[in-house]
Amino acid sequence: MLQYQDKIQAIAARLLKECKVDLVIGFRRGTVPMMNEPYVARTAEQTTNLIWDSHCGINLTNYLTDRKEKIGIVAKGCDSRNIVTHILENKIERDQLYIIGVPCQGMVDKRKIAQAVNGAVDQVIENGNEITIKGPAGDKTVTKADVLQNNCSLCKHRNPTIHDEMVAEPVAEQTDIDAYESVRAIEAMDIDAKRAYFEKLLEPCIRCYACRNACPLCYCPTCFVDEHRPQWVGKSTDPVDNMTFHFLRAYHCAGRCTDCGACERACPVGIKVRIFTKKLEKDCLELFGWEAGLSLDTRPPLDVYRPEDPDDFIK
Amino acid sequence: MGIEPGRLQFSWISSAESTKFVDVVNQVTDAIKALGPNRYLVKNQAKVA
Amino acid sequence: MKTITIEMSQWAAGIAKLKDAYRVWSPVRENDYHVFKELNKDALPDLDFSNTRLSAKQAIYPQTQKMFEYTLDESRPDHHIMHEAPDTTGPQAVIGIRPCDAAAFLLVQKNFNTPQYKDPYWVKAYEKTTLVGLACNNPCSTCFCTSAGGGPFDEKGLDVLLVADKDQYLAKVLTDKGAKLLDAAGFKDEADAAGAQVTIDALREKADAAINSEIATDQLGAQETLTLYDAPFWEEVAFACINCGTCTYLCPTCWCFDIQDEVRGHNGVRMRNWDSCMFPLFTLHGSGHNPRDTKIHRVRQRFMHKLKYFVDKYDDGIQCTGCGRCVRACPVNIDIRNVCNQMNRFGTCPA
Repeated sequence: MLQYQDKIQAIAARLLKECKVDLVIGFRRGTVPMMNEPYVARTAEQTTNLIWDSHCGINLTNYLTDRKEKIGIVAKGCDSRNIVTHILENKIERDQLYIIGVPCQGMVDKRKIAQAVNGAVDQVIENGNEITIKGPAGDKTVTKADVLQNNCSLCKHRNPTIHDEMVAEPVAEQTDIDAYESVRAIEAMDIDAKRAYFEKLLEPCIRCYACRNACPLCYCPTCFVDEHRPQWVGKSTDPVDNMTFHFLRAYHCAGRCTDCGACERACPVGIKVRIFTKKLEKDCLELFGWEAGLSLDTRPPLDVYRPEDPDDFIK
Repeated sequence: MGIEPGRLQFSWISSAESTKFVDVVNQVTDAIKALGPNRYLVKNQAKVA
Repeated sequence: MKTITIEMSQWAAGIAKLKDAYRVWSPVRENDYHVFKELNKDALPDLDFSNTRLSAKQAIYPQTQKMFEYTLDESRPDHHIMHEAPDTTGPQAVIGIRPCDAAAFLLVQKNFNTPQYKDPYWVKAYEKTTLVGLACNNPCSTCFCTSAGGGPFDEKGLDVLLVADKDQYLAKVLTDKGAKLLDAAGFKDEADAAGAQVTIDALREKADAAINSEIATDQLGAQETLTLYDAPFWEEVAFACINCGTCTYLCPTCWCFDIQDEVRGHNGVRMRNWDSCMFPLFTLHGSGHNPRDTKIHRVRQRFMHKLKYFVDKYDDGIQCTGCGRCVRACPVNIDIRNVCNQMNRFGTCPA
């Protein structure tokens, strides 16, 4: 990780010095354990603030939307896939970007770390595949694979799909992954069980919209939940309004979601919101053979018509 | 999502297929009537404190 | 006032008894964290927590609250007339509220309960609520209450302060309301007040010393408002912000709300819902103009309100009790401690 960080800083400093870019978007060290803050370096001196570790789970593509500058951006696998989606959707232009690709080895789930030490965490130290957690209750060392964000455990695109320069050799991609076990479990439920499952899942939702706002796909100038003439969705935390918000938001991400996990990571009340987008990801893969953000040369399935598109649902 | 099979239906009907349109509307209406009123995702009164 | 000793063996029976006279709110564990819930008949407070994910403000100021109800049925004589929502609930008790959350009600009160204007919903709920605090023996690393006008054993705004001491609680009675509640629960074993205070003081000193993060607020009042408003650091502070409502919804002192009507058939309710200055809709005018249409405006507003306008308006400290929830839960690590310190030292000579 430290090698990555040195390389990121060196590339960023060079780009800024040579005026190749106006700014570089990356991460700086957070003020609390396991949290880093998205950061913009505008001078070569500021690039020493750029860091990289296993707590860079926020999707930086979120910070590109409609920017006009020339931008250097640090991108792990999922960020790069969202950059591709952003370019395809005209939210940024390819030649505005200098993509600093980071082969990713997965981001750590701060909730799993907290569970491992049963509460407060003072410090988290990474050493290769081992993570040492220091807390008031003592130290504990865990294997990184056991505390990864769920989306990272299921990730098949750790290496950036688009980049101008890599900070290291690509890492081996994970194979033999069953990415959709959780979705199949719900698909197998009967209707009443599904309803009960979704109601319980969304019961804690406080409608803070952290999931939506952390998502690089959610860039609509006015989100449907914020429309008020007419108002489509109630503003209270009524169960029906909560479900309407989450279902509809997920559908808007169909064929676009890269399962970067930003939504789930951001949720302050720990709702596993990826279950919705995961289902749509599975459908897009099964129906259209599509995974989002792999290439600039193919249009997403929901904005092209192909004669062989499945249409069994139409009577 | 927990919506019963049959409550949501899609059809492709050309503007020239008036008889198909009538048939489909009748079929859908009958099917939905058989299912009864929808109870899911229906908000009667907002949950308030 | 006196101090009552509550043995753990008396606790469950006392809480059960309390439920006969009060609606009892307390922390319960849900998934990975604790939240305040109204306890049902058999439930017990789960006081093995550092702090709840959401603050206790919802016990007095629910996220969604009915204000009025009305009918549109023109066959009824009172159609289209707003009736104040009937308040049918009796006294309530919040057991296990942390001192930071209790102090927050005193700050919110400055807005909802003034000599000129009273928010009837908030005032009534606050008046019928008895706050039983739980002193923080083990504050979190992100707590900074001691430099936000409070402390882990602070008694401000509380009716009773519970101090966990080995296998008992020392319940320090602070108001008549508090005495009444302990009485209703049947907690009557009076401790030697002086002796109990020595124990409490020792635990308090230990807890105070465990708070290792602080903010500086001494210069905020003296700062020139517009100069601070135009300070260059806002751009950097706001960059990472995604404008979600996490900080404002988790905050015990954020009080803004939005009024909405919902009608089904002929029956309408007018409700208010928590709102957030982080949302673009918050200040959107009917004309379509939005005076805070970029995130830098919104982020600045949140901090300026809490740490400058409030200070200037009430001259009684900042609108923050140092609970640290926003620091812990912000998805992008915007840290009010850093922002406050930047605001405080802005323009001052580094020497």
